[in-house]
Amino acid sequence: MILFDLLFMLLVAYITGFLYYGLYRNITARFQRRLGPPVWQSFLDSIKFFSKEESISHGWMFYLGPVIMMSGAIMTLFFIPLFHTGESFKGLSSYGNLFLVLYLLVLGALGNALAVGASGNPFGVMGVTRGLSRLFALELPFYISVIALISVSGSADIVCIAASQTEWNAFAYPLLFIAALFSFVGMMGQAPFDVVGAPVEVYSGPASEFSGKFLALLMSQSAIFTFAKLVLMVHLFLGGASGFVELLAKSFGLFLFVIAFGAMYGRFKTPQSIDFLLKVPTSIAIVGLILATWS
Amino acid sequence: METGFLQEQKVLEGDLNSENSHQNSVDFLMNWFRKQSIFVLAYGTGCGAIEMPPTFTSRYDAERLGIRGAATPRQADVIIVSGYCSYKTLRRIIRTYEQMSNPKYLLALGSCTVNGGMYWDSYNTIKKLEDYLPVDMYVNGCMPRPESILEGFIALQKEIGEGKASSWQKYEENYEFYRKNQEAVLGKKVEPSYEADWYLYEGGL
Amino acid sequence: MFSEIKNRFATDDVEVKRKGLYKVVVKHERLFALIVMLKEMYDYKTLNTITCTDWIEEGHFALTYIMTTLKRNETFMLQTMILREEAHTKSLSYLFKQAQIMERDLHEMYGIKFEGNENLKELSLENWVHTPPLRREFDTLEFVNNHLTFRDGRDDNIDTKAESKRLRAIKKAEKEAAKKAKESKKAEDVQ
Repeated sequence: MILFDLLFMLLVAYITGFLYYGLYRNITARFQRRLGPPVWQSFLDSIKFFSKEESISHGWMFYLGPVIMMSGAIMTLFFIPLFHTGESFKGLSSYGNLFLVLYLLVLGALGNALAVGASGNPFGVMGVTRGLSRLFALELPFYISVIALISVSGSADIVCIAASQTEWNAFAYPLLFIAALFSFVGMMGQAPFDVVGAPVEVYSGPASEFSGKFLALLMSQSAIFTFAKLVLMVHLFLGGASGFVELLAKSFGLFLFVIAFGAMYGRFKTPQSIDFLLKVPTSIAIVGLILATWS
Repeated sequence: METGFLQEQKVLEGDLNSENSHQNSVDFLMNWFRKQSIFVLAYGTGCGAIEMPPTFTSRYDAERLGIRGAATPRQADVIIVSGYCSYKTLRRIIRTYEQMSNPKYLLALGSCTVNGGMYWDSYNTIKKLEDYLPVDMYVNGCMPRPESILEGFIALQKEIGEGKASSWQKYEENYEFYRKNQEAVLGKKVEPSYEADWYLYEGGL
Repeated sequence: MFSEIKNRFATDDVEVKRKGLYKVVVKHERLFALIVMLKEMYDYKTLNTITCTDWIEEGHFALTYIMTTLKRNETFMLQTMILREEAHTKSLSYLFKQAQIMERDLHEMYGIKFEGNENLKELSLENWVHTPPLRREFDTLEFVNNHLTFRDGRDDNIDTKAESKRLRAIKKAEKEAAKKAKESKKAEDVQ
């Protein structure tokens, strides 16, 4: 039964992730006053990349990196329940709590770093250096907000956090939500924090040496991972979801906000983005933490 | 035999109007996916590169046909040789082309790639690109407007869909021929050296 | 200033092309002293460019050094002749740093050796083994015909002006014939 659950979750994440990514490209195109590609364009891209030939080899670590990233994304997905009510589609969430999920969120970046380091591509190394240095700044406000939520709701279980909200956490603790949202925009790789894969600076960054099947794997990984992160945010701040319609509506609203935010702003420099994340969202999160735990 | 302009036109149109080749269903499906998603290497080799930004941005929006830019040769399907191609550029184009993974296609823009164009008597520019690298599709004009480039892309998509765009196989099969031609103009050492001399001397270049 | 240049460096009169643009032809061995004087005493601090002209009939290269002073907004062109066979002169890079790359360019395109310039590697060509391409004895068309292949169809290209004239004449004749036919038809109808 649980196997069926997991497979179904994976399928949902894969399809929804690719649809969301296609919508992201389409909506960004509309922001730029053009027609944009069809919604299923990313799916076509990934299938095409799966059909391409490999012509390079950089040793076994290079092959293993995308696999580590993929498994990180899938594990993250499995430990986040789709719904906080009912019995089905809980995944493995009863076996691991929020701390495990927070740890798994970083696994992808580490796998990426290992693979790119093995390839030796200078632009990839630049992208990974940027990504890892941004990661620490990115996680600080997010972790503070999450710790505040855990202390408020008295549990580190995602289902409990989602179920304990009478009023959405986003409205009950707006400061925490704002701080987490800044990190979330960065985690989704959106402007102004998209220093990692900046196309004109580091030539698509960590992905620059990956081709063919590896790139297809990375695309699927990012689709699944995007969906997992969206579901996590919905559960933590937006009151959770008890059905597919609710889940899709909430996560798509959040996704739309992130896209709009990214389409409006230009890109920070790497030190600027780290500076900003360490100063503004972190201080907002600390104030939110104090206010939330005061009484 | 046609001469002059007619001959050029014949080269450009190639066997676009010939009958469908027979391909099995898996090939057909794969070619359909390849046709729908074309990643173009963001690399300009001549004056024609100036026509590529409007092709890919809001005005002409090639992304609606599934054509989008790729930053590195590893991820690209199509390389555009846009306009005149000097020996020095040819070295870089050859390296870039060989770095791309199969299946890969080459689109040549402008009269210069067809027959030398206005650089027909230049000592430093090649006259026929297809002697050095296999060309899938020529787009003539000086310069071709973005509409023509899009038309060339659509013709290329049609060829890919029918499984006829196979220049990469041609390059592998006739490698000696291409290599011989490349060495005739570039010397024994075809690939450019990785060492850049601009930081070796005081005052840079 | 002009009389001083004329007397000390045994040149012709300084030619005033227009206000603030002067030109003088100076002997090769006195060129560098003149450049130093202009730079140190008359504030010509900028070396704009070094150009070369190939006088193949006279058998020399004409090197032109163009210097500018921003103080008075004046430009000085110093021309000197060097022999074509030797093609050898001194480098100016110890006075002006930018001269280094200009001389590198001239060495590549004309084969002029600049003594004292430590980096005369190729600038924009790569592995060039033939005559320097901007020398006039280098026949571009011959080189192209020997080294490169053309696509068929270039040999029959027609003079477009003559061709369009011919086509226009044909069209005109046709028009007139049609007109005549019409008129004759009209005349027939009237009758």
